[in-house]
Amino acid sequence: MPLTDDTKLSIYRHMYAAERWEATLLRLIEQGVVSGIYHAGRGHEGCEVGAVSALNKDDYLFYDHRGVGHLLAKGADMTGLYGDFLGNELGSTRGLGAGIVHVCDPELGIMGQSGTLGRGQLLATGAALSAKLRGTTQVAMHFFGDGSSNLGTFHESCNVAGAWKLPVIFVVQNNGWAVSVPIEYSTAGGSIARRAEGYAMPGVVVDGTDPFAVYEVAQTAVARARRGEGPTLIEAKLARMRGHFEGDPDNYRSKDHQAHDPLVKTRRRLLDENVASEARLTELENAVKEQIQAAVERARRGRMPERSRIFEGLYV
Amino acid sequence: MSDLIVAPARTITIGAAIREALAEEMRRDERVFVMGEDVGKFGGVFGATRGLFEEFGPKRVIDTPISEMFIVGGGVGAALTGLRPVVELQFADFLMNAADEIMAKMGKWRYMHGGRLTVPMVLRMPAGAMGGVGAEHSQCPEALLLQAPGVYIVIPSTPYDAKGLLKSSIRDDNPVCFFEHKGMYQVSGEVPEEDYTIPLGVADLKRVGGDVSVICWGRMVQVALKAAAEAAKQGIDVEVLDLRCLRPLDVEAILRSVRKTGRLIVCHEASKTGGAGAEIAAIVAEEALDALAAPIRRVCGPDVPIPQSQHLERLWLPGSKDLLAAIQAIVK
Repeated sequence: MPLTDDTKLSIYRHMYAAERWEATLLRLIEQGVVSGIYHAGRGHEGCEVGAVSALNKDDYLFYDHRGVGHLLAKGADMTGLYGDFLGNELGSTRGLGAGIVHVCDPELGIMGQSGTLGRGQLLATGAALSAKLRGTTQVAMHFFGDGSSNLGTFHESCNVAGAWKLPVIFVVQNNGWAVSVPIEYSTAGGSIARRAEGYAMPGVVVDGTDPFAVYEVAQTAVARARRGEGPTLIEAKLARMRGHFEGDPDNYRSKDHQAHDPLVKTRRRLLDENVASEARLTELENAVKEQIQAAVERARRGRMPERSRIFEGLYV
Repeated sequence: MSDLIVAPARTITIGAAIREALAEEMRRDERVFVMGEDVGKFGGVFGATRGLFEEFGPKRVIDTPISEMFIVGGGVGAALTGLRPVVELQFADFLMNAADEIMAKMGKWRYMHGGRLTVPMVLRMPAGAMGGVGAEHSQCPEALLLQAPGVYIVIPSTPYDAKGLLKSSIRDDNPVCFFEHKGMYQVSGEVPEEDYTIPLGVADLKRVGGDVSVICWGRMVQVALKAAAEAAKQGIDVEVLDLRCLRPLDVEAILRSVRKTGRLIVCHEASKTGGAGAEIAAIVAEEALDALAAPIRRVCGPDVPIPQSQHLERLWLPGSKDLLAAIQAIVK
């Protein structure tokens, strides 16, 4: 799908939805009704939405813990998402996998997230192997951070994906911080993307605050994967605008990351490039706000599960 | 056909039984594929996948790099997306190299995601001390998985059980860890030609007796039968219950046997402390203490690493003499 004005508006709408969805969740957190720890996605929504917008419904998404941009772009139901955080039966996991980590919708290719870092790289590679063995043109996309690029799982996954030309797209959201540790300290070579050469796959650096650039890079990677030419490693450089998790004092770094707000930049660009008028954007934003308000109201009516829920769903 | 006409028994090894189970399931279901280190043309370091590559080709019999985390984690990814992988860790000891993939991904992925996904896969692992391969290639680590709800634990002791249990494991929609003892691939036994399965979670009485229950699995079943034969010469009637699975665990069969004999010895090859025998003993203590005429005993591997020297390895292993001594002591 070319990067038409409609695509641009769709990307912006999902980004705006991710930001508004999160703002509403933060209010629920303040009210003390949220189960689990939330890793805010502000600053990452451009990358997440841009990349996932290049996927089809039956492609596989192994998302990361940061925000909900990738989930909303893949079609996740907002009520279900709130239900997951409220831990009630309207959640996508009916109150069980509450929190960002374990949102799931197999019908939409939302295949879950690994709480232990790096492990999603292995599962996404396995899903890509499965697509190849079954002879489909499906691809698997996996998001992870610069911190998770330093696990052994990264090497095993990239090596197999490169050696076997598997249809997997690794999207590294490089915000420069693994919780409190800066990349300059933790990571040799100064580049994740450059490692790709060693795994016989393209390594592409992209401005992760530019969703349209991410979309085009992802499209190229997806097309390559569908042609059977193998994986791509996309390193999206961006800024984490809040702490690692809600409650993180975030006192270990300066505040200049606030200047890299992809939402503000993208909105201005849509106006400057005459993709949409102020009135059109306001209309779109109001529709999103209404949608979110309705979702959160519905989700808050969900019942908390009984203890019996603990014993459901372990075995088939 | 008359009931009196019995087909001549066919005798094959456990290794052959496993090869047959894999080949027959791969013919039956094209979603089944095999993946692991050296499982392709080489046929596996213990020969368990020999011949599969020639019949099914490189798309269904896949050699991997030396990447245990990928072997299991990649298997989970494939299982989530419509295939039924049978993956192999070359030595069961390597489950520590892929512990998160086994305990958190195979076992928990479905549960964590609200029961909306399934992980129909089998992880085959050659286990046990044999041939002096040392402390890191000889363990029976099944007890580690007792703390991993979500994965079944299957440990056959005969060719018949190996084939029937492996077929059930492959057909089951739950993830299964399947332990094969390296010292038993050459053990022979009767296996019918026709298709059959053995349900998971059903223990098997390998010998019926009235004086003492020996509860065991894997290679220790052979040891127990040998000790029982010796004990019989001394007038002690030993019952040998082969659990075959530690999860699902056939608690009913354990309690039935212990209530009958009033005496329990648990025998496993793994080191005693923290072994699965402790769990069996605890269950019996909780549920049937009143039935016991003597304290529970355990005959297990010692709490030291398994030595590399074959001479010392033999001395490390619990044997039928150790078990016989325990049998004699418990009936006194």
